[in-house]
Amino acid sequence: MTGRRVPRRDDPGALDLFVMSDAAPEGAYVPEEPPASEFVDGYPGETPRTAIAVGTLTQTAKDVIEGAFIPLWVRGEISDFKSHRNGHWYFCLRDASAQIRSVVWKRDQRGIPAAPDDGMQVAAFGRLTVYAARGEMQFTVTRIEAEGDGLRRKALEITRARLQADGLLAPERKRALPRFPKVMAVVTSPDGAALHDIVAVMRRRAADVRLVVVPAAVQGDTAPEELCFALDQVNRWGGAELVIVGRGGGSREDLWAFNDERVARAVAACHVPTISAVGHEVDFSICDLVADHRAPTPSAAAEAATFSRGELQAELRKLSLRMSGATRAVVRDRADAARHLGRDLAGAASGQLAVRRTALQSVAGRLNALSPLSTLARGYSVARGDDGATLVSAEAFRPDMPFELIVRDGVVPARVTGTPRRSTP
Amino acid sequence: MTFEQRLARLEEIAGELEGEGVDLARALTLFEEGIQNLRAAADELAAAEARVQRLVERADGSFDVIDRE
Repeated sequence: MTGRRVPRRDDPGALDLFVMSDAAPEGAYVPEEPPASEFVDGYPGETPRTAIAVGTLTQTAKDVIEGAFIPLWVRGEISDFKSHRNGHWYFCLRDASAQIRSVVWKRDQRGIPAAPDDGMQVAAFGRLTVYAARGEMQFTVTRIEAEGDGLRRKALEITRARLQADGLLAPERKRALPRFPKVMAVVTSPDGAALHDIVAVMRRRAADVRLVVVPAAVQGDTAPEELCFALDQVNRWGGAELVIVGRGGGSREDLWAFNDERVARAVAACHVPTISAVGHEVDFSICDLVADHRAPTPSAAAEAATFSRGELQAELRKLSLRMSGATRAVVRDRADAARHLGRDLAGAASGQLAVRRTALQSVAGRLNALSPLSTLARGYSVARGDDGATLVSAEAFRPDMPFELIVRDGVVPARVTGTPRRSTP
Repeated sequence: MTFEQRLARLEEIAGELEGEGVDLARALTLFEEGIQNLRAAADELAAAEARVQRLVERADGSFDVIDRE
């Protein structure tokens, strides 16, 4: 070919390519070189003698087609889906009238929540390409959205089932949050709304806490890796008593990193209790299921994690009241007890007196009964000798012996005038 | 003593004071201790303030916590 003139038509690009790929493979049929004069107004492939190589055709088609289409969304139904063992996905995208072979390269799959199933109605985003070696058109897909959010639902179900199988969703795994964490890690974007809200809540509540921000992208392709890395950093650092992981509100795609299985496992692997705070109230994420506590928003996470100064002051006031109340009660009880004791003693003393008075009266009665005075009162008298001894028998008397008679109201001196004699019984 | 420990101690004190058979001397001692704890906890609260920092990992794998803003 050296020295041959290159024919020029209206597509300089195609012709440049023609030149580049003009070398015929070994053993291929190459027509005899035509005389240079015949080329002046002809083009490659115009005649059998100027036929181009197959590779030239498909390569040219590739360049023309690939240059003509920008990446675009195409809708259709998935069929013949195959996940090849080299990791790439192959399927047909079709509708009632046509179909096109499609591929998702392994490296592009992380932008797609889950592998589509046959029969799914999808919109696929990609570039129309030509597989030159086989002369086939192929749609090279990098994103797929299924009707009714089918892929995301499928992905959530798969992830959830896998985490469940590993026991990571078990209620008994949930740890209680520390009551007064002093140091809290916040895994989120350093300039996102979530951090702003959390800091604002902590400041407003004057919570006695150190927030340690551990930066990570919270959306985009790198978000799952960055979140995992940040959570791992928190573990390796070991200084936090609690981790808040989350981000502010956004579209479903924006929040998707928090449904990533790797992120969920990293949350589960945290050494300290975790609060998941992703998006708004209505947003649900796999991280929410794995974390020890789910907060509906980042602000709510901040509130769940700390007491405000006001709350704690109220708590102190309550304790103060309990304490002084109880102490007063103890003092009052003791005073009451003392009063009761005094009363009891007085009561006991007066009771004792009555008993003694009764005893005394009874003794007095008995004494009275025994007293000779009462006998005397009935008209009897007692004879007593000089020595004071009572003379109770006739033998105690001697003739002319003086003695005295004791009567009821006095003593009468007396003398024995006859001879005493014993009366005969 | 941390705030949490103080609060726990205060709970204990209140509990014991509310219980049966605390003698007067013990009650007054507990009350005294409780008042001291209350005062310390309240002072701590008055000084409370949220700080925002940032975790920085150095090349050797050690960590720094630096103030933000």
